[in-house]
Amino acid sequence: MSVCLKLTEATIKFGGLVAVNKVSFELKQGDLFGLIGPNGAGKTTCFNIITGVYKPTSGEIEFNGKLIGGTPSNKIANLGIARTFQNIRLFKSLTVIENVVVGGFLRHKTGLFGAMAYLPAQIRETEKLRAEAMELLKIVDLADMASARSADLSYGMQRRLEIARALATQPKLLLLDEPAAGMNPQEKEELNVMVRRIRDQFQLTVLLIEHDMRFVMSLCERILVLDAGTEIASGPPDAIRNDPKVIAAYLGQPA
Amino acid sequence: MAGLELSTLPQQLVNGILLGSIYALIALGYTMVYGVLKLINFAHGEVFMIGAYAALFASWGLGYTPNNAMSGSNPINLLIMLLASMTLCGLLGVLIERFAYRPMRNQPRIASLITAIGVSLLLQYGGQLFLPSSPAPNIDAKVNPYQDNITIPLRPVDGTLVAAAKQLEAKQIETKTAFDGYLERTKESPFQLSAAGQPFKKAAQDAERDLRTAEGKAEASGLSIRLPKGQMIMLVTTVVLMALLNFLVMHTKPGRAMRAASHDFDAASLMGINVNSTITFTFLIGSALAGAGAMMNATFLSGTKIDTFFGMLPGVKAFVAAVLGGIGNIPGAVLGGILMGLAETLVVWAGYDSYRDAIAFIVLIIVLLFKPGGLLGSNKVEKV
Amino acid sequence: MKFWLGRTGSILLAFALCAGIQLLADQQSDFVQRLIVLAGLYVTLAVSLNLINGITGQFSMGHAAFYQIGAYTAGFIAMKFYAGAKLPPELWMILSLLTGAAVASVAGLIVGLPSLRLKGDYLAIVTLGFGEIIRIIVQNQPAIGGAYGLSVAPRFEMIWLVWLLAILCIAVCRNLLKTAHGLQFLAVREDEVASSAMGVNVTRTKVTAFLLGSAFAGAAGALLAHFEGFVSPKMFTMDVSFIIVTMVVLGGTGSITGATLAAIGLFFLPEKMRDLPNFPLGNLVATGIGIVIMVIGFRHIAANFHGKMVERVLRYLAILAIAVVIALVLGPIVSKLPTLGVPVEGAKLRMVVFAVTLIVLMLLRPQGIFAHHEFSWAWLRKVLRIDTDKKVTA
Repeated sequence: MSVCLKLTEATIKFGGLVAVNKVSFELKQGDLFGLIGPNGAGKTTCFNIITGVYKPTSGEIEFNGKLIGGTPSNKIANLGIARTFQNIRLFKSLTVIENVVVGGFLRHKTGLFGAMAYLPAQIRETEKLRAEAMELLKIVDLADMASARSADLSYGMQRRLEIARALATQPKLLLLDEPAAGMNPQEKEELNVMVRRIRDQFQLTVLLIEHDMRFVMSLCERILVLDAGTEIASGPPDAIRNDPKVIAAYLGQPA
Repeated sequence: MAGLELSTLPQQLVNGILLGSIYALIALGYTMVYGVLKLINFAHGEVFMIGAYAALFASWGLGYTPNNAMSGSNPINLLIMLLASMTLCGLLGVLIERFAYRPMRNQPRIASLITAIGVSLLLQYGGQLFLPSSPAPNIDAKVNPYQDNITIPLRPVDGTLVAAAKQLEAKQIETKTAFDGYLERTKESPFQLSAAGQPFKKAAQDAERDLRTAEGKAEASGLSIRLPKGQMIMLVTTVVLMALLNFLVMHTKPGRAMRAASHDFDAASLMGINVNSTITFTFLIGSALAGAGAMMNATFLSGTKIDTFFGMLPGVKAFVAAVLGGIGNIPGAVLGGILMGLAETLVVWAGYDSYRDAIAFIVLIIVLLFKPGGLLGSNKVEKV
Repeated sequence: MKFWLGRTGSILLAFALCAGIQLLADQQSDFVQRLIVLAGLYVTLAVSLNLINGITGQFSMGHAAFYQIGAYTAGFIAMKFYAGAKLPPELWMILSLLTGAAVASVAGLIVGLPSLRLKGDYLAIVTLGFGEIIRIIVQNQPAIGGAYGLSVAPRFEMIWLVWLLAILCIAVCRNLLKTAHGLQFLAVREDEVASSAMGVNVTRTKVTAFLLGSAFAGAAGALLAHFEGFVSPKMFTMDVSFIIVTMVVLGGTGSITGATLAAIGLFFLPEKMRDLPNFPLGNLVATGIGIVIMVIGFRHIAANFHGKMVERVLRYLAILAIAVVIALVLGPIVSKLPTLGVPVEGAKLRMVVFAVTLIVLMLLRPQGIFAHHEFSWAWLRKVLRIDTDKKVTA
């Protein structure tokens, strides 16, 4: 299987703080990869350098054989990386389906002047995007909420909507930032099934950050543990579970 | 247009600092409110305007009415005017906060900004309905007992040039008398002279011009700085007020609460700080300082006309000063105020009088684009 | 085919409407004609600013600058080229309109650039500052009349063109919002980071909004110049920008319907004030007290009453009635007081009304009258149904 995403000694510094320090890992096509670590370990920052929110200070990020370090966010999305956010960032006053249509917009071909004149080509394209969005909403089980305001959704629904919106960009790599946060055990179970289904249906590679160990361990095939910006362990769930360094990072150093 | 006349530069710098101290006083109000509420108090310039009116009415109350002005003055009058202005402005600030800003606190920031613009327009145009503004009055100069200047000579006047000017003076008097005598004789007006009178007129004019040129040269050869005593008092008062403010903010309980609220509003309220009274306090102090600035501006910068738009430009400039220094940062506001005062006088000195009001906006745009945190502020990054 | 029929129909309808307005205006006095023209221009200005402020969320307060640039551009090219061009007036006006729009949109591009780095109130201040800088620069250019202004020859009174521009502006904004393209603008307003992660080119979206918005304002300026036959920096002060912002905010940021109706309403209401006779200051004070009572009462009801819709409306009406009665009773009484008896000119109330509207609106309904809603028959039905629903559930 080909390499999808590869980080080589990726580093980012904010002033004197090294948020991510020489982190390297590799995702194969179709992987379900987990990124864990205590608070402030640099997980979300990792996402931010992959998706172009920040430019890495040094190191390389390679996506499908292309160096993408420092490319602007919107270009990254065009290359096929989509993400969700830890602190849900939906377009709050837009409806659920509109949120998803925005995600599909990057595949939109017709121009601004066409939109201003409301030409048939534009209408057709908008209709097509809405139909696609509706399909995605069915997958995340939000189809009956399509015309609700996204801010009115429950927490778990908002997280699922973020996934649908990300899928609308038709990504090859999906980054999920704490997708299960704030969900009850049943919702988590459903999410677990849903992520796998999405991965198989759209042939995605998934990289996810999560705090819930049970969720990560049951979902991910490989896991990387970060602490204070540095990699302390990586491997299959079972190996991570018993790694003394990981236990120390979570429970504190034995005196 | 004088061009870049270096000899007048020191005087201009002094004027700039004096003007800047007023801007600094107003800027403190902007910066304190922004620090705590993250709100640009658009109506602050109008509080300043009301302060100038308060000082005007106080001076009228003391007997310096435009028609029947008392002569002579004493420092107590100035103090009464200052207190009147500070009290009224402080109260106005608190009222504005209570009735216009507090109900908006849970709304998006833009909504409070719009309310602030509304309050500002209301005070400007509503004030027009009952405050005297056409013609714009000014505070009687006689209220200020400190009219004279302290002169600091930097370079003595060139003696030979003075002597030369003195000599020309005799000639000027002589030609002038001759011309006056001629007018007396023929009963002609100086504007409708017959041909016979023209040489007299020309001689008088030439002598006058020569004299003024020579005097100008003599004056320019020396270098001195004039410090109007009134404005010095203004500067000293400003420094005293700032020292008081510093004490208040750094060493008293409300000051500590204010700093805590400006650091983290929500955390401060969770720690049991009464944010409402802290905000009231902030508005009280900030507005009172603007009132002090307004009173001194209207009293010591002689001939300042007061109308309901009086606060608009100083308000904008002081806001820019606060941004320049780093909004939310108290020493920054003082630094920014002085820099704005200097920038303005330097623009005038360089001969671009008509751009003196534009310079504020130009500085603002440059600062916000290149160092949005201001000189002493910090740049915050949005967390993703 | 059906599409093109409908489209041609609506274009013809727009022209017919404009022709109707022109015919109607022709029978009116010069003063009324002027009002009709200015109302049309303000609709254009408010709707175009709404594209920047409401739809894209970039709070701009310098719209008068684009209006001014358009007006001066039209004035300047008319001064230089009109005599030599020998064009029919209609064609000349359309050229002038396009030139004004083009030059203003270049300025819009320049102002749009700071919006890439600044947000919210900072952007508001910078755009306001930009507007003032433009005005001061124009004031200092003797070549275009400096502070005295520039007379624009010839004068054209094409009222139909003014309203055609307004309709075009409304149509363009509405069309945008109906397509996926418009969602891009809304997405930028809602969350820049998330839109960018979804592949939206935030930079281009913001700049496009500024370009389009300023182009319409510039075109409106060109029409103003030819209608008045004169332009001067005094016509484009900060107050003009504030008025346009008020219209957008009053209508509901983001709502084209709201911006249009607020522009017309806020334009005509203060114009009517010019006809007010002088009245004692006491009446004004009493009105002020009445407004305060109304605001406090309304806010109290909104916060504490959760009963039936009808009862709620009744309570609002009761408060309103109390406020009106208090104002009416108090007026003559306080006017007896010596200082409050002085007469006030009704004409001076124009900006006061703006200010009070702005404050009261923010206190009672900060999202604007229409909030983010647009007028459509479906929306109207929905509003009415919600009301009946509430009655049932309560």
